[in-house]
Amino acid sequence: MTPPTSKATDADKRTARIRKALAKAPVKGAYLASDDKVEIRVCAGTACHASGRVALRKALDKALAERGLTDKVAVVETGCHGFCEEGPIVVVRPQGLFYPRLKPRDIAEIVETSVVGDGVVERLLYRDPQTDEPLAHEGDIPFYQGQRRIVLALNGKIDPYSIDDYFNHGGYSALAEVLCADDPEAVIAEVEASGLRGRGGAGFPTGRKWRYCRENPGEKHYVICNADEGDPGAFMDRSVLEGDPHAVIEGMTIAAFAIGAGNGPVEGYVYVRHEYPFAVERLRHALGQARERGLLGDDILGSGFSFDIRINQGAGAFVCGESTALTASIEGHRGMPRGKHIRTVAQGLWGQPTNLNNVETYVNVPWIVLNGAEAFAAMGTPTSKGTKIFSLTGKIVNGGLVEVPMGATLREVIFDIGGGMLPGRTFKAVQLGGPSGGCLPAALLDEPIDFESLVAAGSMMGSGGMVVVDDTTCMVDFAKFFLKFTSEESCGKCVPCRVGSQRLLEILERISAGEGTLDDIERMERLSEDIIEGSLCALGGTAPNPVLSTIRYFRDEIEAHIVEHRCPAGVCRPLIRYEIDEEACTGCHVCFGACPTQAISGERKQLHAIDQKLCIKCDTCRQVCRFDAVRVAPAVPVAAEGRPQ
Amino acid sequence: MAKKSGGNGNGRGTLTGSHMYEVLQGIDFEKRELVGKRKGVGLFDLVKEKDGRLRCYACTLCERSCPVDCIEIEHCPEFETLPFDVDAERAAALAEQPEIEMARFDPVVARIREGSGLVEAFHATQEAFGWLPRATLEAIADEMKLPFSRVFGVASFYSQFRLEPVGKYVIDVCMGTACHVAGAPLVVEAFAQELDVPVGGTTPDGLFTLQTVNCVGACALAPVVRIGDDDTHGRVGPNEARKLVRKLRKAEVAS
Repeated sequence: MTPPTSKATDADKRTARIRKALAKAPVKGAYLASDDKVEIRVCAGTACHASGRVALRKALDKALAERGLTDKVAVVETGCHGFCEEGPIVVVRPQGLFYPRLKPRDIAEIVETSVVGDGVVERLLYRDPQTDEPLAHEGDIPFYQGQRRIVLALNGKIDPYSIDDYFNHGGYSALAEVLCADDPEAVIAEVEASGLRGRGGAGFPTGRKWRYCRENPGEKHYVICNADEGDPGAFMDRSVLEGDPHAVIEGMTIAAFAIGAGNGPVEGYVYVRHEYPFAVERLRHALGQARERGLLGDDILGSGFSFDIRINQGAGAFVCGESTALTASIEGHRGMPRGKHIRTVAQGLWGQPTNLNNVETYVNVPWIVLNGAEAFAAMGTPTSKGTKIFSLTGKIVNGGLVEVPMGATLREVIFDIGGGMLPGRTFKAVQLGGPSGGCLPAALLDEPIDFESLVAAGSMMGSGGMVVVDDTTCMVDFAKFFLKFTSEESCGKCVPCRVGSQRLLEILERISAGEGTLDDIERMERLSEDIIEGSLCALGGTAPNPVLSTIRYFRDEIEAHIVEHRCPAGVCRPLIRYEIDEEACTGCHVCFGACPTQAISGERKQLHAIDQKLCIKCDTCRQVCRFDAVRVAPAVPVAAEGRPQ
Repeated sequence: MAKKSGGNGNGRGTLTGSHMYEVLQGIDFEKRELVGKRKGVGLFDLVKEKDGRLRCYACTLCERSCPVDCIEIEHCPEFETLPFDVDAERAAALAEQPEIEMARFDPVVARIREGSGLVEAFHATQEAFGWLPRATLEAIADEMKLPFSRVFGVASFYSQFRLEPVGKYVIDVCMGTACHVAGAPLVVEAFAQELDVPVGGTTPDGLFTLQTVNCVGACALAPVVRIGDDDTHGRVGPNEARKLVRKLRKAEVAS
């Protein structure tokens, strides 16, 4: 037996070795992004890319070269700033000037005024939607003020291609700390104490999952990151992978250490959607860098612990976000779930104990290690701790990624941070949790957001999609959209989900065509109950939620379709017709040219008319009309004839 | 109101439906034991045609789909030959598809030999050809020593894999929630009308393929349309959609 003194020195030596390895990992002389340097940050997230950041970058390089500043002013392409509605975004440092919605022609002026000079181009600044006052800094903007950014902390601050930037912001120090302490049980205990729950939707306590996985014997343990962000309308995982990929790697490595150290080999997988090419590319690059610097692979930082991560791409199947379907997909099978009588923590990938967490969950882990479980548990509600990212989209002024502490109310998120509804529109509902969640009405806006309260209200946290709709969205049509989605995405393995969701969809289609009966509502409720009870996995088990929540909160709207044959929002096609407002029409002839079926007749400067027989209700004329002269009217005048047959 | 029918008075509808609630012999999945009264449950057997041939051709789907993993497929020496002429069917299926340059498939083979998974191999193939030709699926099956039925079964499961040739421009219309709320269905319709193909179809001149995708994650720009891999357009209405197609057509005629 080794005497205790020598054991202590062994541990000390190991600690010194790990610290030295971490200190040596950054490359000297690499450019480091910093708030105090003169640099221009261009957002290179998917949304900003789509709104033209490539052309912007070209114009920027040209403008800098013309002034001979190419070597003096650094241009950093960062991850997503979160304020996607306002893209493409450029931030000029050190002043921290925030320029949204830029066009390439604006660049020269910005370089001249804010980089060469010290001024501000006021006409290009973000304007407060309420007061129209220009706001120069990110911190002044209401969208950022109500947020608490832990997971998104480095998004938009660092270059995702630079591991040195990540080191410079304290990156991998949590991993080094964990490796130095060499106590996997303590890591699990810490995560358990923090109260961190899975951010993928179900909210299972993360620490407990790790413990089960560690306790289950196997030849090998697997740590999988679920980045198959299938919920339409949610994009926080994409944004984190694009903006801060090393944080995911660090979180996964800590998890792998907690589960596998002294317990046999561990291997990691990231299962990421094929629809996110940038995320895959940046993650692949980050993995290469981490391997190069000794943070992945054999003997990480000289600690003796080995772990590596592989990328596995999905192929457009929503059900592959489910844990057993995901592992089947990695194994090269159809992505079909199996019964969960044996959990994945006992038998997952290749029949071995497997730990599966969401991207956001992993990114929380380094923060917890560095700041302690108590600091994490101090945020949030008694049952849900920490922060949660929501992707706020739909009919709202400020769309984008919002990270708030758990327990914030829907009103705070939608109206204070999101800036409320578009001008002239009223709030109707907010849809949370994607196709598995439900729509909540205005009456529940003051509800605090946590796992339990949302489930009680008939919705769920899901991965954090938050789609706001106004009075122009028909709730029957909205529920139909989700049902169409789940019935198409049902893998077809179990009958309740495959056939049940199809039948539910058919009932909804009947209602939206004005052919439903009042019995249909009860029929849907009963069928939903059976689908929830009988389905094999969570996709089927939650598929009826959008319908149930619509019945619960928007019954009157469904009844309007059935009884009055009227779509209050003017969306369901069989129940509407397009008309031209005789007083507003100026005869500008724009709709005449835009109509794909030549259903509009009329001479220039004269009143136009729509031929109802030719009209296919494609909405083009209403969208092109600048005088609001095209309006949607009920297909059958209800008041005159009472209830039409 | 529907009249309550069904003899056992549970009020849940038809006679057939009432059988759903009767406890037959079965397996309690949690306890893993037989429960219920012995009635009406027998052993599964394979369906035979009139001339005695088995209808099963070992596509392994039942094995994959079984919720309790009680089906296992193994080599059966009694049936030396397959129940139908595989070579003729293969040749017929191959003849239907355009010829491809198999040299472009070599990198995929190299990756399979390095240990890439089946889904990864499909991605690599689709990158090379734009779709998954049958010849390549057969080559993957040979290379990975898997039955072709399994390879085809996986390829047809995932919506991103295309089993038919695609046009020069692949138009992906995002059908995520935010895009739906902002009017994506109208955009798809406008594309379908302008191109005169249904969703999933390719124009006869081989220029355009129209597809929908579930969410590209650019929700703030809804409705989003992606053409090819990199050309993304935000805030597209039906009118813009038509203009987009006309512009691409014009550019094609000019070149």
